[in-house]
Amino acid sequence: MIWKRQIPILIVTIVGLLTLFGWFIDEPTVESFVNDDATQWYDILASFAIFLGALNLMKMQINKIIKKKPGWIYSIIAILGFIFAITAGFFIKGVEGVEWGAHVTTDGTLFKWMFDFVFTPLSATMFSLLAFFVASAAYRSFRIRNFEASLLLVSGIIIMIGRVPVGGIISSWFVMYILVLALGIGLNIRFKNKMITLAVVGGGILAVTTAGMLSGWPLDQPSIFYLPVLQDWIYFYPNVAGTRAIMIGIGLGIFATSIRYILGIEKSYIGE
Amino acid sequence: MKDKQFWLYSGGFLLLLLVYWLGGHPYFKAERFVMFAAILLMAGTLIYYIRAANRHEEFYLRPIPGLKAVEEAVGRSTEMGKPVLYVPGIMDMDQVETVAGVIVLGHVAKMTARYETSLNVPVSRSIVMKAAREACRESYMVEGHPDMFHDDMVHYITDDQFAYAAGVNGIMIREKPAAVLYMGKFYAESLILAETGNSIGAIQIAGTASQAQIPFFVTACDYTLIGEEFFAASAYLSQKPELIGGVKGQDMIKAGIITIIFIAVFLRFINDVWGIGPDILQILTVQ
Repeated sequence: MIWKRQIPILIVTIVGLLTLFGWFIDEPTVESFVNDDATQWYDILASFAIFLGALNLMKMQINKIIKKKPGWIYSIIAILGFIFAITAGFFIKGVEGVEWGAHVTTDGTLFKWMFDFVFTPLSATMFSLLAFFVASAAYRSFRIRNFEASLLLVSGIIIMIGRVPVGGIISSWFVMYILVLALGIGLNIRFKNKMITLAVVGGGILAVTTAGMLSGWPLDQPSIFYLPVLQDWIYFYPNVAGTRAIMIGIGLGIFATSIRYILGIEKSYIGE
Repeated sequence: MKDKQFWLYSGGFLLLLLVYWLGGHPYFKAERFVMFAAILLMAGTLIYYIRAANRHEEFYLRPIPGLKAVEEAVGRSTEMGKPVLYVPGIMDMDQVETVAGVIVLGHVAKMTARYETSLNVPVSRSIVMKAAREACRESYMVEGHPDMFHDDMVHYITDDQFAYAAGVNGIMIREKPAAVLYMGKFYAESLILAETGNSIGAIQIAGTASQAQIPFFVTACDYTLIGEEFFAASAYLSQKPELIGGVKGQDMIKAGIITIIFIAVFLRFINDVWGIGPDILQILTVQ
């Protein structure tokens, strides 16, 4: 039990404290441990652990083929791909005169061919799926269901239009007219009184038109209604405020969790 | 440790620090003192509340819908006779989020063991595979179902981001799990995974501290644990007093940070306008 409980906790505590307080210690050995050695140790351990992963992957795929589980045909491709990658990486370079090790980045070698013409296109295919998923996700989140969703929709539209060239040629006066009409819709929903709606919309249009005529309809004035400026404001103020609030929470969560591990309060990671 | 002992040791430690500081603090990076003091203060606050919780002081933990829904999701899988799919992110155990994900997995594994529901955990790192396997094995043993645990319920797919996403998507499409849980560190693959999960009609719960991925999860999942909620998951699911005390301590630190923000804004304002007081920005900037 001591090997599975106390020793791991002791290692976590010692290494955790050393890494945490090593940042404040002005001593080259400690600094080098915190900045380089500790991460290199981890990388070395992780490199050895990859064998475990590879073996597990092969075991799973072979089992799937033997038991003819659904989709077993793909397992054959997975195993063939694995064997091919190992062969191209360790046994057949495909080109003479290239050093082992350098062959993974040299053009014309079997490994580089596999990387450029099999791996990269497959990864790019998966990545490109994001475009379609973003569209479907945006459609779902922009559906008007409540006040928050409406706010998100309006902010999203302002950000999207304000960030493209056409946003720069939309006059702030046009936006003001839209706002007057939106205000009219809001009041009509709230009070259901045609006279109030007419008075507000009529008064608003008259006020905007008068102000525009007096000022000569400048495209970007008043700047608060100019879309590129408005989107900048949304992006740099309300958005940053929300983001930072989440960031503070995340930072605190990470700190508290780390302290719990270092002090041995949280022991779930060793299954306790 | 008893209260008297605790305060004695803490006082002794602080006294030693004071003596060290007055003695010229050799080997200490003095320009990082503010950060050092902040760490001590925050750690002290956490320890204080953890001890208070251990003394059976009651702390209110606000209901987090996403965590309440975990049991509901496992229950739904049981009713439908379908597996629970748990995705612990794509990063290694050197990321706190992955560790937090593995911890939550331990709790989820307890539920699946209790309900006798099958659990599938595809991972993208070998070390995570070992850690997740241990967490699941222990959970099944604790619940009295060691026979139900098998090594292959936690299996490795690949280290590569999009290949992993493709592998997990394949599992979703083939096995049609009734519940999918994403708990860990995610990057661009988050939306690919969550939208596929959405398309098969699974109940989806996500928890991550990857800020850029939170909107994607909010859009595509039924429940999302945002940032700190994810780190509080272990406390919430285990209901252990020492962990709940830690969450309370975290909240108190947050209150302290908000106060510091207000004071700092005020000090910065008077320093900028009238040149009175210290340059708080200089003091608080991490050197």
